Amino acid sequence: MSADASKSSGSVSPTVDFTFDGTPYRVPEGQTVAAALISHGVVSWRHTRVGEQPRGILCGIGVCFDCLITLNGQPNVRACVTRIETGDVVCSQEGCGFGD
Amino acid sequence: MVAARSGCSATVIDSGPAVGGQYYLGAQSPEGGSGLSYAALRRAFDGLVAARGIDLRLSTYAYALQRHADGFVLRTRGDDRHRHRVSEIGARTVVMATGAFDRQLPFPGWTLPGVMSGGGAQALVKGSGVLPGQRIVVAGTGPFLLAVAYALISAGGNVVAVVEANEPLNLARHARAALPAAGKTADLARFVSALARKRVPYLRRHRVRRAEGLDRLESITISRVDSEWHPVSGTDQVLECDALAIGYGFTAQTDLAGQVGAHMRIGSDGGLAIAVDDRQRTSIAGLIAAGETTGIGGVDLARLEGVIAGVAAVEHCGRRSALSESAIGRGTRDVARLRGFADALHATFPLRPGWRADVDDATLVCRCEEVSAAKVRDAVSDLGALDARSVKLLTRAGMGWCQGRVCAPTVDALCGFDTAESLIGGSYRPVAVPVPLGAIASDRMSP
Ligand SMILES: Cc1cc2nc3c(=O)[nH]c(=O)nc-3n(C[C@H](O)[C@H](O)[C@H](O)COP(=O)(O)OP(=O)(O)OC[C@H]3O[C@@H](n4cnc5c(N)ncnc54)[C@H](O)[C@@H]3O)c2cc1C
Ligand code: FES
Repeated sequence: MSADASKSSGSVSPTVDFTFDGTPYRVPEGQTVAAALISHGVVSWRHTRVGEQPRGILCGIGVCFDCLITLNGQPNVRACVTRIETGDVVCSQEGCGFGD
Repeated sequence: MVAARSGCSATVIDSGPAVGGQYYLGAQSPEGGSGLSYAALRRAFDGLVAARGIDLRLSTYAYALQRHADGFVLRTRGDDRHRHRVSEIGARTVVMATGAFDRQLPFPGWTLPGVMSGGGAQALVKGSGVLPGQRIVVAGTGPFLLAVAYALISAGGNVVAVVEANEPLNLARHARAALPAAGKTADLARFVSALARKRVPYLRRHRVRRAEGLDRLESITISRVDSEWHPVSGTDQVLECDALAIGYGFTAQTDLAGQVGAHMRIGSDGGLAIAVDDRQRTSIAGLIAAGETTGIGGVDLARLEGVIAGVAAVEHCGRRSALSESAIGRGTRDVARLRGFADALHATFPLRPGWRADVDDATLVCRCEEVSAAKVRDAVSDLGALDARSVKLLTRAGMGWCQGRVCAPTVDALCGFDTAESLIGGSYRPVAVPVPLGAIASDRMSP
């Protein structure tokens, strides 16, 4: 679902390698964690505390905290405003993120 | 920039990884508007950073503002990777321009992954070059829907329809009093013709009634609506889509000003705004506000207000600004003219009450604390809550991560407590972004 096909043609643009729930992924540099996952068809990465409902992004700009994810062991990171970096270990989050 | 040019020492704090805000996100240079490209603005800004020593702090959140002696203390933290990195900055004058975010109305299915704000969808494309889905519907109300659809189409996105709850043609009537802002009108014309070229239907007076899907968005149901947004029976239509970019105008981010008790007002869009005078000064001496925080009005207005705010900041520090009186006069007149046009837009794209009947008992109104509409209504009818504060305490609606930013106005509306006082009262937030407690403690102990 990459929006810009022209970027991949011709010059080689730098990429980022990360894992999400153990699966390796590669995306162009500069994407947010949310964008990196959505570009691979992953639209939700959290289940809520009470209703265990799946959630992805809502506001997309860091205001609503619906997109919380666990990044390199740190829970409650906003996927929509945090840029993905090489070597990142990204995990979906259950409840409040502290294994409750 | 005005402050630095006028010889003041300036610190710029921005939560983003680059300056530019929402409009210039992704360092692209959007055409149109007043025609100022990002590249040109960046060159001027970077030049000042180098020449005048602007202290630029990117990926930094201002989470609290306090008054201190004859000025302010601003507390900051790092981005989510570095949220323990806290710091504080003292300043004579603070110019606040924290922008806005899409206003949401709850509807059945709005928590399904794939349903996101218009701004969020646009940020995916502009900031990361990623489309939100394969079949995208853009919906809600306002000219911003067209900007979102345009950004998606320009990036090769498949936009199924743009669903607009109001009648945009009413703008002709409302804008008669205000001189139309030329740049803005040209923008809108370009957006509409791009939709036509791609044969994307612009469904006016249509509203999203619900979203369906198992654990992600699969389709939405829309209906034709009357001018009060009540559905016209027999006009239901199902649109298959895996992404819905939705928004009903914007909500200003007023948190920092609220922390020091700056006066607020209700804007012509019904939302909260920081009250300012014609020099962008708030009711608190030395606190100056610009952009969407002082009332939603778009990028051209925000930029002009920023210049006037810079002048006010310089003056508050007891210096003369580098701008001539006549330039300042022209600026304040342009601000008033653009404000008039923004008012006409808000009159054309208002919120109407018809959405409330769609919010069935099971629909979550507070997404963070997972509070259903039934719970909120019970708080009023069974438990006798008489104001928004009691509803919040009884149900926990608005007490989660987002501190009611998303739901407070709609919970008020569903309970019939949507008064100016309750909107203003509900907007007080002790922190603008959560800070780890340990980080605050260690900061306080450090000399
Ligand atoms: C997602 C989104 C997309 C938009 N797209 C368009 C568009 O295409 N065309 C258009 O005309 N209008 C658009 N708008 C409307 C837009 O708000 C204005 O056009 C313009 O960006 C307003 O400028 P501003 O300076 O008031 O706010 P913004 O541009 O939003 O800038 C606010 C800045 O403050 C920073 N910030 C916020 N809170 C904090 C904090 N606590 N600490 C530190 N920094 C903080 C943000 O990171 C941001 O850089 C959009 C709005 C949103 C929310
Ligand atoms: S989607 Fe709202 S904070 Fe990330």
